[in-house]
Amino acid sequence: MSTWLAAYYIFCYIVFGYTLAILASYLLFVILSWRMQMTLKVDMPPDETIKYQLQGSPLTPAVSIIAPAYNEEITIIDNVNSLMQIDYPDYEIIIVNDASSDRTLELLIDTFEMVDVPYDVAMRVPSKPIKRVLKSTNPKYSKLVVVDKERGGRKSDGSNAGINVCSNKYFVCTDVDCIIEPMALYRMMWMVINSHVPVIGVSATMLMSNACVVENGRVAEAHVPWSFFPMFQQLEYLRSFLISKLGWSYINALPNISGGFGLFDLDVVVKSGGYDNTSMAEDVDMLLRMVTYMRNTGQKFRVVQVPKVCCWTEGPSSMKALYRQRVRWARGLYEIVVNHRKLFFNPHYGPIGAFTLPFILIFEFIAPVLEASGFIFMIWLIIAGSVNWGTAILLFVMIYLFSALMCFALLFFDYNIDAVNWHQRRRAYFHLAFAAFIEPIVYHPIITYCSNIGYFQYLSGQAAIWKPIQRKGVKKRDTKPQSNATPTK
Amino acid sequence: MDTVSTLSYYFNVVTTYISYYWVYYQEEFHTYPFEARIAIGIIQWSFLLIVFLTVLMEKKGHHRRKKDRTKAKLEERYGEAMDYIFNREHTWVMARDEITKLFHVDEQKVARHGLLRTKLDKQMICDLLYQRLIASGNTWPNRRKNFHLLLNIFALPTFLEGEIAFASMFIKMKALAVVRAFKLPVSPWVINMLMASKKTRVKRVAMYLSVAGSADSELDYFESDFFDQNSCIYDEIELGYILNRRRDAGMKLPNLAHWAELQKKDYTKCMFVRLMRRFDQREYCAQLEPMFRETKHKKLIEEISRTWGYLGYTEAEQMLVDALLTQPDDTKVAILHAITRMDSGRNLRTLMDVYKHSRNPHVRLEALRCVWNYGEDGRDMLVTLENRAQGDDKKLFTFFHNDLTLSRMPLNKEQAYHPSVETEFNLSN
Repeated sequence: MSTWLAAYYIFCYIVFGYTLAILASYLLFVILSWRMQMTLKVDMPPDETIKYQLQGSPLTPAVSIIAPAYNEEITIIDNVNSLMQIDYPDYEIIIVNDASSDRTLELLIDTFEMVDVPYDVAMRVPSKPIKRVLKSTNPKYSKLVVVDKERGGRKSDGSNAGINVCSNKYFVCTDVDCIIEPMALYRMMWMVINSHVPVIGVSATMLMSNACVVENGRVAEAHVPWSFFPMFQQLEYLRSFLISKLGWSYINALPNISGGFGLFDLDVVVKSGGYDNTSMAEDVDMLLRMVTYMRNTGQKFRVVQVPKVCCWTEGPSSMKALYRQRVRWARGLYEIVVNHRKLFFNPHYGPIGAFTLPFILIFEFIAPVLEASGFIFMIWLIIAGSVNWGTAILLFVMIYLFSALMCFALLFFDYNIDAVNWHQRRRAYFHLAFAAFIEPIVYHPIITYCSNIGYFQYLSGQAAIWKPIQRKGVKKRDTKPQSNATPTK
Repeated sequence: MDTVSTLSYYFNVVTTYISYYWVYYQEEFHTYPFEARIAIGIIQWSFLLIVFLTVLMEKKGHHRRKKDRTKAKLEERYGEAMDYIFNREHTWVMARDEITKLFHVDEQKVARHGLLRTKLDKQMICDLLYQRLIASGNTWPNRRKNFHLLLNIFALPTFLEGEIAFASMFIKMKALAVVRAFKLPVSPWVINMLMASKKTRVKRVAMYLSVAGSADSELDYFESDFFDQNSCIYDEIELGYILNRRRDAGMKLPNLAHWAELQKKDYTKCMFVRLMRRFDQREYCAQLEPMFRETKHKKLIEEISRTWGYLGYTEAEQMLVDALLTQPDDTKVAILHAITRMDSGRNLRTLMDVYKHSRNPHVRLEALRCVWNYGEDGRDMLVTLENRAQGDDKKLFTFFHNDLTLSRMPLNKEQAYHPSVETEFNLSN
C-alpha cells in the first residue's frame, strides 16, 4: 500500500469517526435537553402561576433593562413603548444613545419629556464617557432613563455604559429593536428565585421576528419566515436554544448568553469587568470571564436557559448581512479559543472547562475547516473516479435522516413545552421540516464558507469591522393608537 | 373484515417484516463493510425514532385538542355563572341551592352523581376557576366563601387532594399551585404522604401548604433543620406569605431568631434574619448576638447588621462599631447603614472616621450617605466636609449629589436603605 493510499484511508476513517462523534453528541444533547425539560416541567409553573406568586410580593427582585441604540429614529419610540409594556412589578429601562447622528435622542427627549439630571456616573466597567443622563418629568415614564454617551461604535460599549448607570441587582441586556414577550421577565426571574444556588446568568430563547405580525409592540402572530435566510435562521436558533443550550443548562455548562436578550447578576458582571469592547464575541467572552471569576473565588453558581421564547429579533435577510454576521461570529469564536485557552480541558472551571469548551473546540471550531477540506477532497475523488457511490449515497442518507431526526426532536420539544405560541402550529412545523430538509444542501455550505473566511481574516490580521445589521422591519397590524405613544401634558 | 381478521392480517405483516430483517441480519448484514453497517444502523434507528416521535406528537395533539374542547364546552356551560360569582361583590353568603340554581343544575342530581363526572372535566374546571381567580384581584370576603361553596359543588377539594397524592409529578405540582391559590385546607394524610417524598421540592411545597391552609396551623416543621439545602428566594416569598397571614389573623408570630439558630446552612439563617426584620421582631434581636460574634459568613453578618439597624436594636451598637475595624468592605457598608438607622446620636464621629480613613471609594461614598442621613448634625458636618474636599473627594461628593437628584437615595432614614445596598430586599417598597 502506498503512503498516499494509507493517508487516504486514515483521512477517510478520521472523518467518519468525527461524523459519528458529532452524531453521538447531538443525541446526547437531545437526551440532556429532554431531562432539563422534565425538570422544568415540575419546577417551572405556568406563566400565570408565576405571575400570581411574584407580583404581590415585596421580595420580588427588581430588574434593569439595558438597551443600547444607534440611529434608530424610525423605530425608537415604538420600541421604548414596547419595552414599557413588559409585565413585571419592578423594573427600569435604560436606553443608551451611542451618539446617534440622526434624531434618536431628540425624539426620546420630546416624546417622553426627558430632562437632564446632573449625574457623574461611577465607572464600574469601562465605557466611553457618558455625556448626560436624562429622566422624564412625567411620572408615567418614571421607569425610563436615557443615557447619552460618546460614540463607542460597538453594542458592548453601550451595554457597559448602561451597566454603569444600572441600579438593580439584576439586569437584562437587549437590543432596542427586539420585541420582548410581556412575560419574559417573570420567566427569567423565576429561574433566579427558584434556585438554591446563586444564578449569575439566565439565557432566554430568542427567535426571528421577520415574518411575525406585531400589534401594539407585541408579537400577535408568530410565523416561520418564508424569506430564504431568516427561514433557516429560525430553525438554527430553535435548534440552538431548545436542544444545545437546554442540554448544556442541565449540566450547568451553558457557554453563552445571547447578546440579544440575557439576564445577568450585576455584581458578578462588574467584578469580572463587564463586556469587552474589543471582542467580536463579547457575550461569550463575558460569560466565560464570569465563570472564571466565580470558579477562582470558589463560589457556587448556575447559568440557566429558559426554554420558552422570550424575545423576537429581526435576523439578517440578505446574503451580505448574513455574510458579515457569520464572519464576525467566526472571528469571535477564534478569539474565544485564543483568549480563553487556559479554560479548555481544565476541570478547575467545572463542566464548562471540562466539556463545553472542548466540545466547542472539536465540533464547532474545527468542523468548518474539516467540512471545507472534505468538500475539496470529494471533488478530487469524483475527478479521479475513485468514489464508491454505494457507500457515499448510504452515508449521505444517514446524515440526512439523522438531521431529519434532530428536526423532529426539535418539533417535539417545542410541542412538549409550548416554547413558541405559533399562530398555526401545524403549518409552522411543516415549514420548519421543509427548511430542515433543504438546509444541508443550500444553507449549510454558505455558513461553512463564512466561517472559513472569518478564520482566514483573523489569521491574516485583517481589521475587524463591526456594522449593525440593516433591518427591514416587521409586519405591523394597525390597531388603535397606543396609549403610551402620546404623552400627557 | 371483522376485527379479529384485521388484527391477524396486521400481525402477519409485522411478523413477516421482522422475520425478513432477521434473515437479512443473519445472512447478509454482517458481510457488509463496517461503515455501511453503522450507516444502515443509524438510518434504521433514525427512521424508527422519527415515526415514534410523530406518533407521540399526534397522541399529545389529540389529548390537547380534547382538553381544549372540554374546556370550551365547560366555559360555554358554566362561564357566565362563574363570572357572576367572581366579578360581582356579593353582600351575602350564597346558599348551596342558590349556586346550583345559578349553574342550572338539579341539586338532587348533583348529590347523586356529582356535577362533573370525568377527571378531565374536573381538571378543566379547575383551570377555568384558577384563571378567573388570579385574573381578578379583588378580595371581597363573601366571594371567597361563595367560591369555596362552588368548589364543593364541583367536588373539587377531594379531587385535588387525590391529584396531589397520586398523580404524576407534573400534575401534582399543578394541583398544589391550584390548592394554594384557592386557599383550600389539605388533609393531614396528604401532607404526610408528600412529606415522605424523596424530592425536596415536593416536601417544601407540602410544608408551605400545610401551614398556609389555615392561619392557625402548627409550624412544627420549622422547629428543626428542615432546610437541608440553601434556601432560595421562593422560600422567603412563601414564608413571608404564611407569616403575614398569621399576623393578619392576630396570632403571635414564632421566634424567627430561634429558627435561624436551628439551621445549619448560613444562607438559610440569612433568610430567617431577613424575615425577622420584615416582621419587626425586635424582642428576639439579642438572640442574634452569639451568631454575629461566631459566624465568619459575610452575608450573615450583613443581614444581622441590617436587621439590628432596621429594628433599632441600639444595644448592639458598640458591637457593630467594633466590627467596622475587622470586617471587609462589603460588610462594612451594611454595618454603616445599620449604625445610621440606629440614630443613637453617638456615632457620627465613627462614620466620619470611616469616610476619612477608608481606602475604598465605595465605602467612603456610603459613609457620606450615612453622614447625610444622620440628622441635622450630619448634614451640617457634610457641608463642612464638602467645602474642604479636593480632588477625588470632590468627585465623591458629585456622586453623592447625583443620587440625591435621581431620587435613588432615601431622603430620610425612615425610607430604608439605599438601593445599591439593599436592592433585592428593599424594605421601603
